[in-house]
Amino acid sequence: MSPHVQSELLAAYAGGEIEGARAYSIEAHVVECADCQAAVARLVEPARMQRGWADIEDRLDTPRPAAIEAALGRLGVPGHLARLLAATPSLSVSWLGAVTVALAFAVIAAHESERGLLLFLCVAALLPLAGVAAAFGRGLDPVFEIAVAAPFSSVRLLLLRTAAVLPTTIALAGIAALTLPGVGWTAAAWLLPSLGLTVMSLALATYVAPSRAFGGVTAGWLAIVVFSAIDAGDRLAAFDSGAQVAFVVLALGGGIVLALRQDHLDLGRTL
Amino acid sequence: MSASLAAGLSDEKLLAAVAGGDRQALRVLYERHAPWLTLRLARRCADADAVSDAVQDTFVVVWKSAARYQGGGAVGAWMWGIAIRRLIDALRRRPRREFHSSERIDVEPSAEEQVLLGVEHGDLAGALDRLSSELRAVVQATILDGLTSREASRLLGIPTGTVKTRAMRARIQLRKEMA
Repeated sequence: MSPHVQSELLAAYAGGEIEGARAYSIEAHVVECADCQAAVARLVEPARMQRGWADIEDRLDTPRPAAIEAALGRLGVPGHLARLLAATPSLSVSWLGAVTVALAFAVIAAHESERGLLLFLCVAALLPLAGVAAAFGRGLDPVFEIAVAAPFSSVRLLLLRTAAVLPTTIALAGIAALTLPGVGWTAAAWLLPSLGLTVMSLALATYVAPSRAFGGVTAGWLAIVVFSAIDAGDRLAAFDSGAQVAFVVLALGGGIVLALRQDHLDLGRTL
Repeated sequence: MSASLAAGLSDEKLLAAVAGGDRQALRVLYERHAPWLTLRLARRCADADAVSDAVQDTFVVVWKSAARYQGGGAVGAWMWGIAIRRLIDALRRRPRREFHSSERIDVEPSAEEQVLLGVEHGDLAGALDRLSSELRAVVQATILDGLTSREASRLLGIPTGTVKTRAMRARIQLRKEMA
């Protein structure tokens, strides 16, 4: 260990008055000398050091963003949006896990019988709708109060969440459909109904409370499916080509209504 | 751990406490090391905000990776290794400003300082001081700060190839002077 650097020399170093080899010599010494570190500490502006520590504490106190929030951030989604999207109940791991389990059982049933296939199509068609409904739900949403109070259009938030939930759920259902027995186009017959039902529910939610809109559309559609399946000759009548065209029309019509009446979609007051 | 207890502990003990999630221990480490880290970084970068950011980053890294400290070297040296790399990262993220390379006129070293330097470096000190400021900056970054050519090129804002050729020129000149 070299002799302690004199305090005047340290002061000159701190003041930036020393260059070259003498500065290196001081630095090489200070890095491992507690006394000189303490002497240097007295030469640095205390306020700056205090501010630095306050900033460090702030950063240590900031919770780490959830994986999905961090991923959205990397995709260029602004921080506040990423947080609100990440808080969507139907984007949580538990929800997606439940969706996967439901789809798995439906796929198993579809392997057993045509009735099972019908069950799969119903589940696959309704899951995106359920995901969007959950994104509206006051009971499920951990940031419900914050979202209502935020200076941020709740319609915009809901549509953003819908835009995030739909592809996620549809992707899961699509993967599940690939594992169905050889049924050709029928494996994808749930896709247009799921879109149509979702848009229709959203359109209806501009007239009545969202929970009623989602519940009513689901119940009505299930009734139609069950009724049309009574005829044993064509159990999948609710998914045939006529129905597919009807759902395209419904989706477009619902989209127009939604665009015109989006100001009426207010989760804060109607729920 | 209480503030007074932490203040009496060695860096290694504090680091072990930080690894166990003791924030008071981190605070004592900050009070001991942040000032000289700030000064030393400031000699390599004129942007005071970048220096402050780098010092803060350093202690956030220390907080997260205290358990990875292997011992063997001084804690200060370990922290310096983190700090200089955080500074390079901070510089990469922000638009470049003037690099601190102003050459000041050295005051004549006192007799004591001459002795001190003589003991520690022999002729090397004089030889280093006779290098041009460009060459000396490269020697400082690559040898004394222990950076790779790539890291040095980021810190100094010059191409990696230039770092290598300047390091070679500096080595040749030093060898000639020490012979």
